[in-house]
Order: sequence, then structure tokens, then C-alpha cells
Amino acid sequence: MRRLPVYLLLDTSGSMTGEPIEAVKNGVQMMISSLRQNPQAIETAFLSVITFDSIAQQIIPLTDLASFQMVDLKATGVTALGDALKLTAQKIETEVAKTTTEQKGDWKPLVFIMTDGIPTDNWEIGLAEFKKVKTAFTVACAAGAGADTNVLKQITDTVVSLENTDSSSIGKFFQWVTASIGVTSTRIEDSGKELTNFKELPPPPSELNIVV
Amino acid sequence: MEEIKRYLQSFLFQNKIDIPRSKQSLFEDFISDEINITAVKIIKEKQQMMMRNWNLINRIDDITNQSVFLPNGTVNKTYEAKIDFIQLGWDDIISYEIQNLEETGLSFDREKELLSGNPKISGDLKIKMLFKIDGEAEETPLNEKVFAVIINPDPKSLWKNIESDKNAPFSKEDNAAAAGSFLDKKIVVASKRGRSHANVGSFREDDFAFRNFSSNGWSVLAVSDGAGSSSLSRKGSQLACDTLIEYFEENLDKENLKEFDEILFSHYKKTDSDSSKKISYFVYNTLLKAAHFVNQKIEEFATENNEELKKFHATLIFALVKKYDFGYAILTFGVGDCPIGLLNKDLTEITLMNVIDVSEFGGGTRFITMPEIFQSDKLSSRFGFKLVNDFSYLMLMTDGIYDPKFVVEANLEKIERWNEFLSDLKGNNEDGSKVDFENENADIAAQLSTWMDFWSPGNHDDRTLAIIY
Repeated sequence: MRRLPVYLLLDTSGSMTGEPIEAVKNGVQMMISSLRQNPQAIETAFLSVITFDSIAQQIIPLTDLASFQMVDLKATGVTALGDALKLTAQKIETEVAKTTTEQKGDWKPLVFIMTDGIPTDNWEIGLAEFKKVKTAFTVACAAGAGADTNVLKQITDTVVSLENTDSSSIGKFFQWVTASIGVTSTRIEDSGKELTNFKELPPPPSELNIVV
Repeated sequence: MEEIKRYLQSFLFQNKIDIPRSKQSLFEDFISDEINITAVKIIKEKQQMMMRNWNLINRIDDITNQSVFLPNGTVNKTYEAKIDFIQLGWDDIISYEIQNLEETGLSFDREKELLSGNPKISGDLKIKMLFKIDGEAEETPLNEKVFAVIINPDPKSLWKNIESDKNAPFSKEDNAAAAGSFLDKKIVVASKRGRSHANVGSFREDDFAFRNFSSNGWSVLAVSDGAGSSSLSRKGSQLACDTLIEYFEENLDKENLKEFDEILFSHYKKTDSDSSKKISYFVYNTLLKAAHFVNQKIEEFATENNEELKKFHATLIFALVKKYDFGYAILTFGVGDCPIGLLNKDLTEITLMNVIDVSEFGGGTRFITMPEIFQSDKLSSRFGFKLVNDFSYLMLMTDGIYDPKFVVEANLEKIERWNEFLSDLKGNNEDGSKVDFENENADIAAQLSTWMDFWSPGNHDDRTLAIIY
């Protein structure tokens, strides 16, 4: 079966302490329980969580929605976004099956990045690695005033921003991620085509500003 | 006495009082006083009690907060998880009781420490364990720990089956099946709307048609798959099949059929070295005209209805077959990603009659509605011809069948995969659905239709399978 891999890159640096990190955890949890009710998503979507603070870590490898269990997140350290991009590239390379004459590979992965700060590492190196792997699309979310949309714009064309990092704003972002994964899984099962364009995703809620 | 002395010495010392030599005998009297001796005893007992109490509540808190990994379950799927007390370090739990399992379909086996069963309800189960640890008094209330177990819904239950709108333009039946004769053989076809369409109440986009022409001895079978991204492809696929039949109905007699019969005979006898070339010419000409006719008819239909042609995009595969004394002549044409497979009499050889257009390679699936297919240099590869003594099965199918059953095109070339497929059709599957090809079977269309309900995660497209046997 062709899986739809989804990578969530979550900022767990010290500035996320308190309400933001709890909101992220809840957001992922709500997302999972909602996608479990979607017949296409529960069959095709596989989810991985990569966190980045002073280092990047894949805290949950690519896992099917049915067996997915969220783990606790702790906010600490600085913002190694470059490291996270590099790690994501490595994981996509090893976890996502390629199409050969003998097997049907997975669908191209979806990548969602959420950060509230400015990368503290040499992020261009990580970005160069990340650009080498194929994704269906990458969405970056600049959460709160401290995030740098210019950096995110170099990672992907699709950048959205949240004014605040309170639980309601972060919750809205995850609701939109949920809807986007839902639409993509329905679409690929229905037509056998992947989404490649941000415009094909459901419209973001008003709390999410599209950065142009 | 020593103990009392040490205790009181350190007690005074904690209060910054030193006993000088001169006060030594006073101190000796002090520690011999019954009142003080009793007081120290009581204090020590109370301290021990407090220590015990602290250890108890601390331990209970640890157990309550200890994370216990229990895998997620799925409704109607056997669940089993061990709660291993030894491994969890719970040897100090002296009695316990598991609660909240009512109506979950799960039960707990104390002997095996096993939580198991067939989950009945989905959601986040909160299973309660009431427990008592060693050292707690008989009358203290039981402690409570909660295990969270996520139970997923049965994926099958999430799919809705919404009827398509019968009043919509170009509506058609969600499911169709037919059986009958095809030359001196039999035919069975079933076409079913996929779950992804049923879930949103949209139409079946696959279609099929077949016909025996008594005036010239030919029979034709067509299968078409409407493009998912084309909004009227349900009509496109229907037109593709029906106009093809219409073409042969009107034009087959006019072709030089007699001449073709003779060419085939000489080909069979190997008396004409040019026969292969002549056959190719005939096949190419006859089928191309038919395919072109279909293309034209759909285009006309689109124009008449003021719709864009691309809304009708559909693939088309067909086989034109005739029985001769010396065997069966099978002529095929295909555009799109649907295969035509011919299985020889003793099931040792599969001939794939067409090269299928697959989206990953070669720039995407092609449709009969695309005028450019007639200009492409790939055109000649769309035709197939075979003259065989006999065959066991000739199968035409859409990708809704071939994706789940063959997975990749390379497997369509493997006879073992076709034999597995046949065995699957004959009942070797998890539902036990069986299509009986052997006997006079009036139910065969219904049987094939039921078989086609097979479950395959990620494969919920329309399914059409036509079998000549």
C-alpha cells in the first residue's frame, strides 16, 4: 500500500515553555484523534514527529495513525532548525519507499514546520540537504512575533504566520494541518494524484496569515 | 539508656546547647527521668510512623504516575496487551481490581495479567485499577490508577455508502453486473462503484459493454475507466463502450471480413509468408477506425452538450474475438492503464495483450478522448493480435482491480500472480467469496459482484472485471 508520509517539525526551544508547548502537544493529539475518523487518512497517513531545540531529534518515527501515541514534549535550549531540516532529509531518504518496477512507492511526503524563533545554527547547510529530497509540499508556520518569516521563506514558498503563541492560535494551526492532511489523503485515493500546490489545500483560518 | 542519651544529646545540640563537664551529672539525672524517657520513646515512634506514611504515599504516587505502555487497538480486531506486574516493579501491590471494562469488549485475565478481547467501541478508554500496596492499613480506601488505551474505529465502518443522485445529468447505476455467452464461451462482468465514490455519493466512473454479432461471427468486449479528475467521466466511459459497440454493429460487415478469414487461414497453415503483415494491417485499420469513431462520438457529444471534451476523459480497452475451426483470433486495442490478459488453456502462460499507460512513466495516463493519441508514435503499440487454439480466460480489468491484486505492472507479466488471482476468485480469500466458473451457474454475475467487495487498504477506486471463460 502506498503510504502518505507526514513529517511534523516542532520547535521545542526554551521560549516555547509553558502554554505554547502544551498547545503544540494538544494540537498534535487533537489532530490524531480527528484524522482517525477519516477513512482515507487512517489507512494512508503515516506520521513522524521531529523536535528541535539545541539538537534535532526524531521523537516518533514514521508511524501509522492507528498505532500512533503522542509523547511528552519538554521545552528547553535553543533553536537548531538547520539540524532538524537535515535530519528530516535523512529520515525521508530512509523511511519513504521509492517506486520501482517491483513495488509501488509511497506518496511524496508532506512536511509541516512550526517555530517561534530564529534558527541558532547554520541552517543553510541543513536546508541544502532538505532541498535534495522530494516532498509534495512543505508548509512553515512562524508562531508569534519572534519568528523570522524571511528564513522560512527560503525553506518553502508556503509560509503562514500566527500573531500569538497562545493555545487557541496554535490550535488553529493544527486544525488546518489536520484538514490539509485529510484533503491530501482523500485526493490521492480518489484520483491517484498528489497535491503539489498550496492553493489546493483547504483555505487557512483567519488566524493564519499567509506570508507573501 | 545509651539510645536515650544519644537522642537527647543531639536534640540539645540541634538547639545549640552544649553540655559542659560541670553539667554532666545534671544531664545524667535528666536522661534518667521517666518523663523524658517516655517522651523520647513517643517521639521516636511518631517519627517512624511518619516515615512509613511518607514512604507509602510516595510509592502510591509513583505507581499512579508510572507510565505503562499499552498499544492502541482497533474495533473488531483482536486486542492483547500484557500488564506485567513484575516487570513494572509492582510486587508490592498486594491486591487490585480492574474496572471500567464493561461494554468495551475487553477483559482482564489476572492469571496471565493479560488485557484482551475484541474492542467494541472506539475512543480513548480509561481503564481503572484500584490497588492496595503492602503496608497500607486494612481500612484505608483503595488507590486509583488509570490506564489510557486508544481504540481506533474499524476503518470499514468509517466509509459511508451514499447513493449517487439519480436525477443528476448522465446518472448511472452504482453497480452493474452481467453474464452471458461470448462466442462459444461464457462471459461474466461486474462493475462496482469504489468506496471513495460511495463515501461522498459520487458516481461510478467505470463502465463496460459486450456484444455478439451473429451476422459475421465476431464478438466484442469493452471496458472503460473514467478519469477521476474529469467531472463527467461517468458518461465518457459509458460512451466509450457503447459507441464502440455501435461502430462494430454498423461497420463490421462492411469490412473485408472474408479476406481476413482467408488471411488468417493461410497464417494458420503458414502458406503465406506475408500473412503476419497482412494481419497487422487489418487489425490496425479496423481497430483504429473503431477507436477513432469513439473519439469522434464523444467529442460530438461534448459539443452538443456545451461541455468541454476533457470533462469526459476515459480510458478504453477492448477485444474483438472470433472463433475459427483452427482457433480463436483475438484482436485488441488499449489506451490508458487497464490491462487485457490472455491465459492459455493449461494456465502456464499469460499474454499481456496491451502495453499499459502508467502515470509515473511516459507522462501520465492517456485517454480515448485525447486526439493526440492518434498522432503519437506509440500508436502502433496500442494494438494486439493473437491466434490461439484455445484459451482458459481472457480478462479485461480496470486499475481498481489491478492495483490491489497485482500492485505493479511488472506483476501482470507473471503467470504465478495470475494463478494466485484465479485462486482468489475461486474462493481463496479472507471473505471466502467464490466465483464458480466450472458449472452451469446462473448466479455467476452476482458472485463476481460479491467477490469484488474485497477489502484492500488504500484501494477504494471503482472496480470492473470482465472475464471470458
